[in-house]
Amino acid sequence: MPPEPLILGFDTSAAHCAAALVSGGKVLTHVREDMARGQAERLMPLLEEVLADQGATWGDLSAIGVGIGPGNFTGIRISVAAARGLALSLGIPAVGVSALEAQAHGLPGVVVSSLDARREMLYLQVLGDGGGTGPELCSVERLPEVPTGAAPLCVGHMADEIAARCAGTVTAPTVEPAEAIALIAETRRNGAARPAPLYIRPADAAPPRDAGPVILP
Amino acid sequence: MSDSLTILGLESSCDDTAAAVVRHAPGHPAEILASVVVGQTELHETFGGVVPEIAARAHTEKLDLAVEEALDRAGLSLAQVDAIAVTSGPGLIGGVLAGVMCAKGLSAGSGKPLVGVNHLAGHALTPRLTDGIAFPYLMLLVSGGHCQFLLVEGLDEFTRLGGTIDDAPGEAFDKAAKLMGLPQPGGPAVEEAAHRGDPARFAFPRPLLDRPGCDMSFSGLKTALLRARDERVAAEGGLRMGDRDDLCASFQAAVADVLAEKSRRALKTYMELSPPSPVIAVAGGVAANMTIRAALESVAAAAGAEFLAPPLSLCTDNAAMIAWAGLEAFRAGQRDGMDLSARPRWPLDRKSPALLGSGKKGAKA
Repeated sequence: MPPEPLILGFDTSAAHCAAALVSGGKVLTHVREDMARGQAERLMPLLEEVLADQGATWGDLSAIGVGIGPGNFTGIRISVAAARGLALSLGIPAVGVSALEAQAHGLPGVVVSSLDARREMLYLQVLGDGGGTGPELCSVERLPEVPTGAAPLCVGHMADEIAARCAGTVTAPTVEPAEAIALIAETRRNGAARPAPLYIRPADAAPPRDAGPVILP
Repeated sequence: MSDSLTILGLESSCDDTAAAVVRHAPGHPAEILASVVVGQTELHETFGGVVPEIAARAHTEKLDLAVEEALDRAGLSLAQVDAIAVTSGPGLIGGVLAGVMCAKGLSAGSGKPLVGVNHLAGHALTPRLTDGIAFPYLMLLVSGGHCQFLLVEGLDEFTRLGGTIDDAPGEAFDKAAKLMGLPQPGGPAVEEAAHRGDPARFAFPRPLLDRPGCDMSFSGLKTALLRARDERVAAEGGLRMGDRDDLCASFQAAVADVLAEKSRRALKTYMELSPPSPVIAVAGGVAANMTIRAALESVAAAAGAEFLAPPLSLCTDNAAMIAWAGLEAFRAGQRDGMDLSARPRWPLDRKSPALLGSGKKGAKA
């Protein structure tokens, strides 16, 4: 029995399959395998390998942390669905952690965290020091307001351009995404709501063009 | 230790999120301990059809809730089931993936074996769940996404005698409803209007009746309906409700005629096997249409076969059929690993040439 609760974090919201085990704020093991497809087949065996690496089994876990995106819609669902199934079968909480927050984990002060949203757009969030903005979809030309004089740290996609526009400094994440997810989940596992994907971008769907005929009595 | 098996089933291949618990002991009727179906009609109605991304989003956040409710209604914990069965294809891949991953999570955490089930096998084996019938029987699967005649000779022995080469009848009813300005889902709406109409007023085609075999086509029928509607709209400046009723009745009569005649041919092939107690069973939402059902019943009676239609709740998408198909597969020794794939395409009959989507990814169904 480990002295501290054991937390498993995992993420497939980008072109990887990643997992980490943490306990007492320390990373015990971490694996990231880069892959563009095949996460649905690889994820569970990878998690079992990560557990086995620490001589642990599913029953030893106290909580699960899962990456909820933003990112690849299908990839997000692969992990969130698995996490919800695991939480139900193990009777432990699953905590959803955003990729923007995971990327900013451990960085001091105000942080501008950004991810590639394709189509020349960004998923972006301003975090830290009592405030910030919600995660949103924006272009680099139209960034949300950063507190004046904040001198933020800019991390993630197009951090150079963002830093140039808000008098910030470019930096790199302090830990791997799955590590951050597990570490954050460890601190939030009590009373956590079920994890739900953070898509930000709505589903691509348009109402039908043919409105149908005019009906006469 | 009894031979009784209790299986949890999950289904998420189209727009219904479902979970069910089924129990069976050899020599006894199967029991559906719980069957939960959470529909998504309201999420899709403004788009005039199922939007795959919207369906996948809903499944991801509803599946575990449906599982909890099914277990709760059955009065069981996960520890008390023998295995977890899940639709692993064919279907809308985002939804199938959500189901497969949720099931893997349930299986890993509970230590219960995982069984991947073909959605179509779920439909095709339903007559054994509801009525315990023996192989071989003839199955007409007729829904919004599928239309095929299957000769069912074993748990994994399906021969497709024929099927649609384009639209499924349920899809044709949905499109007909759109053309008629009727609400979705189209089946019940068109049937209701048809009830008031004259089925002989419009002479719609009976596609492929002039060709041998059991293949069908419903796409041209839809085009004929559109032409007839436009002609009426041009004449009247709009669609009169009386005309609409007649159009619906004539459309429905054409679909029923095609299904009845092709069923007659499929029955002929089936009866050549001299089954001891011949049965033709239907599954899929279109089996709820009373005109179509009556036509099939009379064809079955003429051929000397029993006509079997499971209750509607087990004809349309549900998880009890997945739990049942999983139960039969589990009993036969099937176990799947944590690397189980979700398959958008997965034909039951691997021998007959593909009817649909025969591209490099293989047949759809």
